[in-house]
Amino acid sequence: MRRALRWGVLLVAVLALPAWPGPAGEVVFTSNQFTPVEEQEWARNTLLARFTQETGIGVRFVTENEGPYVDRLLAEARSGRGSIDVTGTLHGIFPVLVAERVVRDMGEIQRQLDARRDRTFYRDLLAVSRIEGMQAFVPWMQATYLIAARREALRYFPQGRNPMRMTYDDLMQWGQNIREATGERRLGFPVGPRGLYGRFLHGYAYPSFTGSQVKRFKSREAVTMWQYLRRLWGVTHPSSFRYEFMHEPLLLGEVWVAWDHTARLLPALRQRPEEFVVLPSPAGPRGRSFLSVVAGLSLTRWSPNPEAAVRLVEYLTRPSTQVLTLQGVGFFPVSPEAARVVPTGGLKVMADGVAAQAGAPDARTALLPIGLGARTGEFVPVYVDTFRLIAIEGRPIEDVLAAQARRLEELYRATNAPCPPPDPPERPCRPD
Amino acid sequence: MPGEADRPRRLLPGAATPYLLVLPAAAYLALFVLYPMVQAVRLGVTDAQGAWTLEHVRRMASDLYFWPAVRYTLLVTALAVPLQVALALCIALLVNTRFPGHTAFLYVCAIPLAVSDLAAGLIWLSLFTERGYLNAALVQWGVLRSPFNFLSYEHPAWLVGAIVTTEVWRATAIVMVVLVAGLQLLPRDYVETAAVFGANRWQTLRHVLLPLLRPSLQTALIIRTVLAFQLFATVVTLSGRLVPVLAGETYFWYSLYRNPHVASVYATLVLLLSALFTWVYLRTLRPEGEGA
Repeated sequence: MRRALRWGVLLVAVLALPAWPGPAGEVVFTSNQFTPVEEQEWARNTLLARFTQETGIGVRFVTENEGPYVDRLLAEARSGRGSIDVTGTLHGIFPVLVAERVVRDMGEIQRQLDARRDRTFYRDLLAVSRIEGMQAFVPWMQATYLIAARREALRYFPQGRNPMRMTYDDLMQWGQNIREATGERRLGFPVGPRGLYGRFLHGYAYPSFTGSQVKRFKSREAVTMWQYLRRLWGVTHPSSFRYEFMHEPLLLGEVWVAWDHTARLLPALRQRPEEFVVLPSPAGPRGRSFLSVVAGLSLTRWSPNPEAAVRLVEYLTRPSTQVLTLQGVGFFPVSPEAARVVPTGGLKVMADGVAAQAGAPDARTALLPIGLGARTGEFVPVYVDTFRLIAIEGRPIEDVLAAQARRLEELYRATNAPCPPPDPPERPCRPD
Repeated sequence: MPGEADRPRRLLPGAATPYLLVLPAAAYLALFVLYPMVQAVRLGVTDAQGAWTLEHVRRMASDLYFWPAVRYTLLVTALAVPLQVALALCIALLVNTRFPGHTAFLYVCAIPLAVSDLAAGLIWLSLFTERGYLNAALVQWGVLRSPFNFLSYEHPAWLVGAIVTTEVWRATAIVMVVLVAGLQLLPRDYVETAAVFGANRWQTLRHVLLPLLRPSLQTALIIRTVLAFQLFATVVTLSGRLVPVLAGETYFWYSLYRNPHVASVYATLVLLLSALFTWVYLRTLRPEGEGA
């Protein structure tokens, strides 16, 4: 009798096991964001741990550099099945994922999110999320690139000029003033192989000087711009060719004025918020152009656990989670509801700079090129190689521009891609 | 006779034994080395549709970084490998005198073996930068008034010097281990005989030890040269892409440009260069008497 009872208890226990409030499945979430170790740790132990606590759904988070990250998605897409449920990456990578049929149309999920009425998304970000006639992602977080400077360097800023309204001429004069006063070159750019200087060339300098990213690549204004960049390189720290994350030379004191991605400046501001200021990128003859970097979330077409995946997307885009993300890794909100929360410390310094850049009367948003498909990775090297040939190796500007324009033209002709804004969207784009 | 009858039966498995023993290793190599290698070569000469093309080779050869990468890879190899072998030989000969404390000395010399190339690059970077230890020390001692920028685009020779120094520090140990092992295998009789005939230390080294060490030197040279062609992390850490090298270009074409085809052509080129140098070493450093 007692034995039968014991068996009975065991049987009930076994039958009840699936109903036990344990983890309700698992979602696999891949990304090429949050790759630095501290960010990974934060994503796993804070961001995603809270989701698991709330829903009982475990998250397996895989973050890798862009190459292996995209390869994993494409390999699963080609085999038609796989384990990835949700993927989060930059707007510029989504065209590849759409072309290779990796991600599904997120329109329906967007409508579900909108129906909750607890969040809205900036309209221009939603516009960017539409690729090839479908909504490729739900906006997740955003970033930009701007200038961080040591407060003591402001002493050398050109007299009578306003740093918050800086022009490219001011920047040059600033670098020259520092050099004359200290004998050192203290401007810094991330020109290292994995640095993001290429973004400065095509998204900041080109549109600010020529009003174009591609079409006026070898125009007269472009020649003037390259003459300027060559002179600017002369007041730039001579180790800039190996800088990849500008917070490092900023904290070391090798560089006093640095341009980089917000996430790559933030560690310096976090460590010593009182020592740094954040300034908008400079303005040129054609306005103050800057790049807006948007990251989005999407479900894979083969997601094994789509319901849990949708819940993860809902959690990650919730305004309170967006604030958490800003505080944790310095990516800015995509919802006005989250943007109203005022940050403190280094984040406040950064947020003020971002607002000053986006809110400047002459601000012009440039977007990353799209439509280059599998050859997206070849766009930026054209600009970086041009810089190397003209500024570092000192080759004749017109010849280099003519040769590099042919590369750009071939790339656009082969992919039949449209010009990125501010150029008119003609297809294929062609440098004049 | 029973022995006669047994013989064929023993001979067959006996002859097959070496092949059976080699089989696991051969299968492993075929699956994890040979197959990927063939795949990589094929990736370099076929397009996305699988048709034969030399387009990727052309793109590699016309790339801005290609010729500098070839030049710098050969230059760094030509500077670093002889230095490493000479230094390692000195250390090995010193250890071989078995002075008191030679074991501790050997272990200290072997420490860099345990450091990854990326870590080695970072260690030396922290020495050479403007705010690095070297500048701090030189300013402290009054040698310099203000920090000197060793890693500047204006002095490519300094960059190459920093890379070669790091490489010598990092990889001399492996050559030394091979040479110490080789020296310890040599019978003492040769040296003693040389002494009996009145040879001094230099003559013993030149005419007795070095010729006997030839097989070890050959192994060490092959390992070092092949590894030098794969050199990448230290170079990128110290010089970004200002001193391009072939292995680095392979990585950049794959991960930055997302073009596995051209990356494969680079990888194949590194393979061919390694094979060529190995062949040259095998021919020129053949032990005497083997069909020279």
